[in-house]
Amino acid sequence: MTAPLLEVRGLTKRYLGVAAVDDVSFAIDAGGIVGLIGPNGSGKSTTIDCLSGFQRADAGHWALDGKPLAGRPAHAVARAGLTRSFQTVRAYDELSLIENLRVAAQQSDGADWWQALLRTEPLRTHEAASRARALELLTTVGLERYADAPAAVLSYGQRKLLALAACMMSRPRLAIFDEPVAGVNPTMIRRIESVVRAFNASGTTLVIVEHNVDFILNLCDRVIVLESGRTIADGAPALIRSDPRVLAAYLGRSGAAAMLARGQA
Amino acid sequence: MDAAFFVQLLLNGLVLGVIYALIAMGLSLIFGVLEIINFAHGEFYMLGAMAAYFAVERVHLGYWATIVAVTIGALCVGWVLYEALLARLAGSGFERSILVTLGLSMVLQNGAVFLFTTTPKMLQTADTYSNVTIGGARIALLRVLALGIGVVAYAGLHLMLHRTQVGRAMRGVAQNRDAALMVGIDPRAVSRLAVVVGIGLSGLAGAALAPVYAVHPLMGFAFVFKAFAIIIIGGLGNVSGAAVAALALGVLESVMGGFLPQVVVDALSFGAMILVLLVRPQGLFGRGVRV
Amino acid sequence: MSRSTGLATASALLLVALFAVPLVTRNEYLLALGVSFATFAVLSSGLNLVYGYSGLLSFAQVGFFGLGAYTAALLMTELQWSALPAVVAGGALAAVAGLVIGYSSLRLSRHAFAIVTLSFALLCGIVARDWVSLTRGSMGIPGLPVPTVGAWRIARPADFYWLLLGYSVLANTIIYALVTSRIGRAMRAIKLNEALAQSQGLDPLAHRLLAVTLSASLTGMAGGWFVFYLTIVDPSVFDFYYTETMLIMVILGGPGHFWGVLVSCAVLTVVPDLLRFTTDLRMVLYGAVLIVAMLVLPGGIGGWLDRRRVERWRRIAYGSPR
Repeated sequence: MTAPLLEVRGLTKRYLGVAAVDDVSFAIDAGGIVGLIGPNGSGKSTTIDCLSGFQRADAGHWALDGKPLAGRPAHAVARAGLTRSFQTVRAYDELSLIENLRVAAQQSDGADWWQALLRTEPLRTHEAASRARALELLTTVGLERYADAPAAVLSYGQRKLLALAACMMSRPRLAIFDEPVAGVNPTMIRRIESVVRAFNASGTTLVIVEHNVDFILNLCDRVIVLESGRTIADGAPALIRSDPRVLAAYLGRSGAAAMLARGQA
Repeated sequence: MDAAFFVQLLLNGLVLGVIYALIAMGLSLIFGVLEIINFAHGEFYMLGAMAAYFAVERVHLGYWATIVAVTIGALCVGWVLYEALLARLAGSGFERSILVTLGLSMVLQNGAVFLFTTTPKMLQTADTYSNVTIGGARIALLRVLALGIGVVAYAGLHLMLHRTQVGRAMRGVAQNRDAALMVGIDPRAVSRLAVVVGIGLSGLAGAALAPVYAVHPLMGFAFVFKAFAIIIIGGLGNVSGAAVAALALGVLESVMGGFLPQVVVDALSFGAMILVLLVRPQGLFGRGVRV
Repeated sequence: MSRSTGLATASALLLVALFAVPLVTRNEYLLALGVSFATFAVLSSGLNLVYGYSGLLSFAQVGFFGLGAYTAALLMTELQWSALPAVVAGGALAAVAGLVIGYSSLRLSRHAFAIVTLSFALLCGIVARDWVSLTRGSMGIPGLPVPTVGAWRIARPADFYWLLLGYSVLANTIIYALVTSRIGRAMRAIKLNEALAQSQGLDPLAHRLLAVTLSASLTGMAGGWFVFYLTIVDPSVFDFYYTETMLIMVILGGPGHFWGVLVSCAVLTVVPDLLRFTTDLRMVLYGAVLIVAMLVLPGGIGGWLDRRRVERWRRIAYGSPR
């Protein structure tokens, strides 16, 4: 049995005495797409923020490929191979799409400060390679036409695609996508779904946080469900779909009971 | 060192502390409500002093008439400043605001130098040489009056912020702008009032101190940077904190000036600020009413 | 490719022309203007690196300028160091000061950072004025010795012109190399969207410290050469005038636009002099320009050009401007 890619034990984060994330533990093996769902306030965003180093956890340990990441700052976590996208879609508006992607890659090719300043050989090869990879990723997401356009020009859905591509530039071991289809139309949802599958096929394990439960159930091979900061379910989509606790979390007890009675689960 | 000398230093320090307080409180109020660091704040102190000089020397107004006239003028100038300039910067980002007020300070300061030259002017009135004896020390009457004016101004400001509707609104906006909007407070009106009061306090300080110190175009410049240090020490946006820090600084500078080298006295405010930032960055009294 | 080789050729020719000036004229006024431009070119590019590229509104630059100046002057007069080591030591001390200030204040809010950097510059001026035993106070240290670099005795106006111009070219080349490298790209990314940059492995503190420290050392060395040109160092080297002037040069040229800032530096050095403005009027004008720029054109000329580029792309992407 191979060691899990990401192992999380006892993750806890409190705000003013209330536990937003309460002793959460799970392990993710390399290769698949894992969904992370739960109603509002269940602690999904806080979990990601803690894992990726954007918030300090109050307790817990987690490691990527055996390398401990707890307590490390966000940029160190990214360099260790764990990238993430943001709920509020972020991009460098003044830079072109290619530049946006090249920035995302530059910490991962091992060139140091002097090489960067003097532009000596290993760096030039890296830069050429990263430009090629950027174009390749832009083509995957369908934005290659706008390669030299400033990111400010993109529509909301296109910005989301750019953000996902940027996560992939450094060939991370694990990428976490925070609500990748929030606020976009159904056509774009399908496009993002195929992009996500393509990224996964290229070798990156993905964790997807979403409110759109159908999107998750279609896409992921495993789903973890949070409620009030705790895991209440963890398993294959088919099981999650009919799990009474999950239904209760989203619909309330009576709603869940009604769903089950009508046989719609 | 005899007691009378010490009392002298103390009283002088209180007067100095009062100017610092009037300038710093206005600065703090404007920062708390608008989140703008008003670089030009010292210039309104200078303009108040200049106006007082001209009121007395050219128009021959009496002491109290000058104080009232200049204060009213400063309130009006504050109103104009808000409407013409600061209102446009709402939600504009920190650098734009600081640079606009810096530009304004450059215009006012250098304009004053151009028009009036840097030669200090002494404001002579009938009371210039009158003294009052307190605790064995003789102190100029005008300084005592300035002190009194400062205390009254502080009391007035405190009453306004804590006992009136509009003052509470001001504190509300400083605390949470969005929440204030939701309960129907008009941030424009509150911001305008904050600027009017802040500039008014500065102008008042200028008018009260014009007969005490020399009047010249760079007098505001000297005080404003200390005022910045004071509002950091007291806590950004905390008006009472600024007042306390200002008074303490004034007294300390005056008393220490009696036996420490000048460089220490001048550097005191900045040294204290650095210490506060290292040890308690939110200021001695915390960041205003903001959490 | 041809556009940047064209630009490179143009700059090379311009440089040759600038260096040739003292060969064709003895006009000391012109040479003084050149020295002023060269010095401000370092000051404003240094500020551009910290503010334009890294997004840090710092008022500390003039503090580093004067610190480098006093260090170099004192080393030459008190310890008989020769010019080059003295100036480099001044730059090193300024760099250390930059590191200390940067490390302690970059954690603070932007408001506090602005105030702390401002206070640092003021404190330097206060110390220069009041610590008479070290700095000779308001009188300063007149009669600085003639600097020699190797066999070159820098005494005539033309010599100082070449010295300051040469140093300015060196300093600006270093800054240019940095901002066009991936490090510069990282700085811009951190300024544009810090959280995104962090999620991509970029360390904001390290990049900001680099900007502050590098610009502090380059500015400090400029200070050293500048006071040798003046032959006197006194507390006026810390005047707020320098801060105001370099700020307006950066704002007008466009923060983050290397060439824009250099062009605006040239314009603002030459034009007010041509118009025979007194210092106060010049400052009133700068203040007014600053206010208008902030209200109307906050990105400076460079920013305006950028917005046009975005509009052009919008037209390409959508067929009409949004």
